[in-house]
Amino acid sequence: MRRVAVVGAGMTPFAEHFDLGIKDLLPMAVTEAIDAVDKGLDRADINAAWFGELVSTDGFAAGILADQCGLVDIPVSHLENACATGNDTLRNAFYAVASGYVDIALVAGADKVRETSSQTTFWDWMAMTRDMAWDYPLGLVAPANFALHAQRYLYESGATREHMAMVAVKNHANAVPNPKAQMRFEVTMEQVLSAPIVVAPFGLYDCTPQSDGAAALVICAEDVVDRYTDKPVWIRGVGLGLDRVMHQHKADMTTFPATVKAAKAAYQMAGIDPSEIGVAEVHDCFSTIEMISYEDLGFVPRFGAAKALEAGETTMTGRLPVNPSGGLKAKGHPPGATGIAQCYEIFGQLRGTAANQVASAPTLGLAHNIGGPTAVAAVTVLGTAKP
Amino acid sequence: MTARLQALATYVPCWGDERRRTAGPDEDAITMAVAAGRAAITAAGRPVDRVVLVTRDLPTLEGSAEAVLIAGLDLGSDVLATIVVGGAPAALDLAASADPGTLAIAVDVSGAAGAAAVVVGGTDGATLEAWTRIERSLPVLVRDAQGEVFDYADPRLLRVRGVGAAMTALGLDTKPVAVAGLSAKDAASYVEGKPAHPPTTGASSALFALACALDANASGTVVATEQGTATAARLTAGRTARATHSPAPRALPKRRSIADADIKISLPAYERAFDGKVRLAAGQCSKCGNLDLPQRYRCSECGAEASSSLAALPRDATVYTAVSVHVPVPGLLTPYDLAIVNLGDSGVRLLAPVTDAEPGTTLIGDSGSVVLRRIAVRAGVPDYGYAFVPAEGAR
Repeated sequence: MRRVAVVGAGMTPFAEHFDLGIKDLLPMAVTEAIDAVDKGLDRADINAAWFGELVSTDGFAAGILADQCGLVDIPVSHLENACATGNDTLRNAFYAVASGYVDIALVAGADKVRETSSQTTFWDWMAMTRDMAWDYPLGLVAPANFALHAQRYLYESGATREHMAMVAVKNHANAVPNPKAQMRFEVTMEQVLSAPIVVAPFGLYDCTPQSDGAAALVICAEDVVDRYTDKPVWIRGVGLGLDRVMHQHKADMTTFPATVKAAKAAYQMAGIDPSEIGVAEVHDCFSTIEMISYEDLGFVPRFGAAKALEAGETTMTGRLPVNPSGGLKAKGHPPGATGIAQCYEIFGQLRGTAANQVASAPTLGLAHNIGGPTAVAAVTVLGTAKP
Repeated sequence: MTARLQALATYVPCWGDERRRTAGPDEDAITMAVAAGRAAITAAGRPVDRVVLVTRDLPTLEGSAEAVLIAGLDLGSDVLATIVVGGAPAALDLAASADPGTLAIAVDVSGAAGAAAVVVGGTDGATLEAWTRIERSLPVLVRDAQGEVFDYADPRLLRVRGVGAAMTALGLDTKPVAVAGLSAKDAASYVEGKPAHPPTTGASSALFALACALDANASGTVVATEQGTATAARLTAGRTARATHSPAPRALPKRRSIADADIKISLPAYERAFDGKVRLAAGQCSKCGNLDLPQRYRCSECGAEASSSLAALPRDATVYTAVSVHVPVPGLLTPYDLAIVNLGDSGVRLLAPVTDAEPGTTLIGDSGSVVLRRIAVRAGVPDYGYAFVPAEGAR
């Protein structure tokens, strides 16, 4: 196995890009990633590409990446793994490079959530993730599927809506300096708590917005890394975990076993303990999900998220800043791009160039997605030290 | 013809007021028939051989309403179910003329809603003897093939030349103990004393009238009328098992609908899930006994394949987690609640809509039961499944 590094990262702003299609967003992110390579990269040097996208809005996904980015002469594969698509796309490209078959790979992710009416989105996205006979007709919309977990989590852990609001306040504040973020404004505890209810216990500010956007990474093998940069960010560990699909089959809904499994695999590959992580981008599609994920990722003990939030442990000046980019909550969440954009953020944080830079100069960072019917999670550990 | 009434069950929706009940948005003729029918079968303590449903509220599932009825009642799929279009006289005639082993159900959905069911048979129940009837035509209310109602709107004409003339034509020698098909006010002049009055005026009112008389331990004539038609039967009191579902009435919660949406359906998926979903049955593994809902090819416990058969699940339920959806979802009335409930001590959980309760009031730990409801209408197809009803005053 060869060691693999990220040498370039790019992303479009996340927003409601009504004026830009997937065919615009993808080449914008890919070109930014290629241009970000310190010593330059000719795109003809890319050997293969992987593209994560949940919903193809303008037809054949892999072909659109190849065609729109000038990559029709290399193999391109499309990957879909619910909201864990981004980090899983990186994981698959990583395996190809590590195995020795590919030296330089492009990893791209994109989605255009706002390409259809926001009214039809409910049923379109439910049809992708629900059993057609048993669950789909009930109207288990995405916020409801996560709220089923959140209600039980609040009931058992003793955490409150105030703790959830702390997540929203923190992530909104983090998004303000980030030019790529969709919601660059601060919110107060009171605003979060008095916002209209979407699905109880989630108010409007507990929820991610609907976003369009694309992100891309250039990764390469250790053998060629010196050609491209003197400051590589190494892929230290990748992991993917799954769980029972239907919510009625999940024995304990206060935790996501998919995350636990993905994190365990990534930490094991990296040979690290979660306490060594210095900065993290954690899946916060809904505020409570960031809290549960602190526990599943091993950052805090079980039911310890509320206490950690009260102590400010995950703020920009805390012991482990979480979601310095603003997270899904405030940066936005075009699912196929989300995980790649998290790695874009960690890439910047570890090189000291992030828009909202963590002051503690972290050397190990983590990116995490949990997706679909909370049945798949992906974790990536990046680091400055060569493994 | 004389029928013995082994058991009689009545059902009214929880929505409405003391005067009049209204069917919930997830109720129709089939779900209400199942509610009354199941209660009657349970009260009788015996299986039935055939089912007849009388209603003028036509179920829209052509050729499948009977299948939903049989599955909802959890009867064998070889049991004959017949749907008869008719009002109160038809229902009274059916109850008086049915063979032993018949479950006779009558339902009203539009207008005052209710359902009632009798199991005919046994040896010690009240007897009902068909006596006399009169068929006349005074179509003050008519319904077209699409179910649209046209009302001539002349209540006085109906009173005088409809019910009045029909009652005269019946030539009763004594005042009846109960009259079905009329408002309480209109019925008062015909009946002996001041008996309890049926909560409906359509098909089900005939069986509600029987229930009123039975509960008063009265013997005598029971009359059912509908516009110009009337039928009379003689009731002799007996030990008929009774069941009553009559929750305290409450106002339908205000909910909003932003737009219709085409909620897709896959009929192959519908058909595969039908028995488990409408009978509320899990796949039980023949190797290890584990229950999987929905039934699956490979046992989630021991991995045995293609070796499970359907087993009925308990219907008492406790909430494991519940949410209230406030965001408007096209095609659904919001807000609505969804819950994951533990079914008895089976270890099986069900994801179910919460019904017969104000949205947002269902909490973790609440107890109740699951009942058959029309969960959705998808591309025109009524989709039946189980909804959670919190127990009254459980908390």
